[in-house]
Amino acid sequence: MEEALIKVRNLKKHYNGGKVKALDGIDIDIHQGEVVVVVGPSGSGKSTFLRSLNLLEQPTEGEIIFDGEDINAKDADINKHRQKMGMVFQHFNLFPHKTVLGNITLAPIQLKKIPKPEAEAQAMKLLNMVHLEDKATNYPSQLSGGQKQRIAIARALAMEPTVMLFDEPTSALDPEMVGEVLDIMKDLAKSGMTMVVVTHEMGFAKEVGTRVIFIDHGQIKEENTPKEFFNNPKDPRLQDFLSKVLI
Amino acid sequence: MNWFDKFCNDFTLNFIEGDRWKWILEGLGNTIIITIFALIIGVLLGIIIAAVRSTYDKNGADMKKRGGPAYVFLKIGNTLCNLYLTVVRGTPSVVQLLIMYFIILVNVTNGVFVAIIAFGLNSAAYVAEIFRGGIMSIDEGQFEAGRSLGFNYLQTMFHIILPQAIKVILPSLFNEFITLIKETAVAGYVGVMDLTKAGDKIRGRTFSAFMPLIAVALIYLGIVVLLTQLLKQLEKRLRKSER
Repeated sequence: MEEALIKVRNLKKHYNGGKVKALDGIDIDIHQGEVVVVVGPSGSGKSTFLRSLNLLEQPTEGEIIFDGEDINAKDADINKHRQKMGMVFQHFNLFPHKTVLGNITLAPIQLKKIPKPEAEAQAMKLLNMVHLEDKATNYPSQLSGGQKQRIAIARALAMEPTVMLFDEPTSALDPEMVGEVLDIMKDLAKSGMTMVVVTHEMGFAKEVGTRVIFIDHGQIKEENTPKEFFNNPKDPRLQDFLSKVLI
Repeated sequence: MNWFDKFCNDFTLNFIEGDRWKWILEGLGNTIIITIFALIIGVLLGIIIAAVRSTYDKNGADMKKRGGPAYVFLKIGNTLCNLYLTVVRGTPSVVQLLIMYFIILVNVTNGVFVAIIAFGLNSAAYVAEIFRGGIMSIDEGQFEAGRSLGFNYLQTMFHIILPQAIKVILPSLFNEFITLIKETAVAGYVGVMDLTKAGDKIRGRTFSAFMPLIAVALIYLGIVVLLTQLLKQLEKRLRKSER
């Protein structure tokens, strides 16, 4: 097997001087093209884990090796690495003072110094991909939740990341809008994008995931192919968890 | 003598005789000069204080990890700013003015200059909190979205946070301007003839309190009402651009 894209070693996040252990020693390798779905009860540390991958959450200790460099090292240029790690948030976090096009092109123009016309052409292609070309000149407040999230995905993709991180991307959506966002994510997975997805959508995990991970009390309690994970769970906490969520 | 004739006599006595209306004009000029220059000092210094404090709040943990002298400076700066805010906001502005005139700038005889410095330093504390409040009012998710795209702290501030925060900041800043105009009314304590002092001086000469003091009050009121109308227009426009 080729070198992993992201190698996480002994990742820990402690609060109150170690009294609260949000992450308690996570080890995982994420390979190119994988769709890793992270599930777990609320407060288990799954979001903290995802947010640690691009250091939005500062880990207490541990290594995150991305592109062959430990991005948690003191002298690592985290801003450079973050350009390669797209992130999609539960609450979209679109920039309300910018149009859809402005949202998507801001980072490519400012950070990659791509000329505006070129960045906008690229943005239109991404809008085409998320089926929202007609919203280019709209402001975020004029969009539905599902549309906002699709724009947020396009915005992250505009930096041409090598991995996409999704932090409960459908949790804040009305039920009828969940499908349109998941469809985009499925397309993305099919195109070969490496993805790490924290979600409660077990259907998505089953259908699109190449690997499913169960986190509880800040530790990975089980990881397996979706089929084995759902049909043959071994950890008692996972069995209990799966019996409680609708699949 | 009916009330109209009495009014006219009073008016003549207080403003026309001895060209006393010129005192009012001079006082008004000083009030405006002190207010505008104090506000300029307040905004410039306030932005610096707000920048130090919000950087410490939002980016301190990041800089601590990286270590080096930058974090130490930031920490010291933050402590100094907090001390400054506590002292300035915890003491009356008249006392600050007197300290400035009789202790710190004791060699400066120009009262207007001393008043500008004193009110400017006072205003800076309030302006700083207005800016910091504006920055802090923007959802943390905006900040994270910027950082996740690869923007550094300053880039995130300038491209994403400040353009949004300015809509919260501008009306409050304008309000501070209005407050400041009224605050400068104590400039007479250090021998400055501002608008209030001018009215009081006339009262002392003519022994007629009603006319000069009410006139002074009406001038303040007129300025404040005018500026408040402008503020409302400004807020309306900002709301419109929110969509």
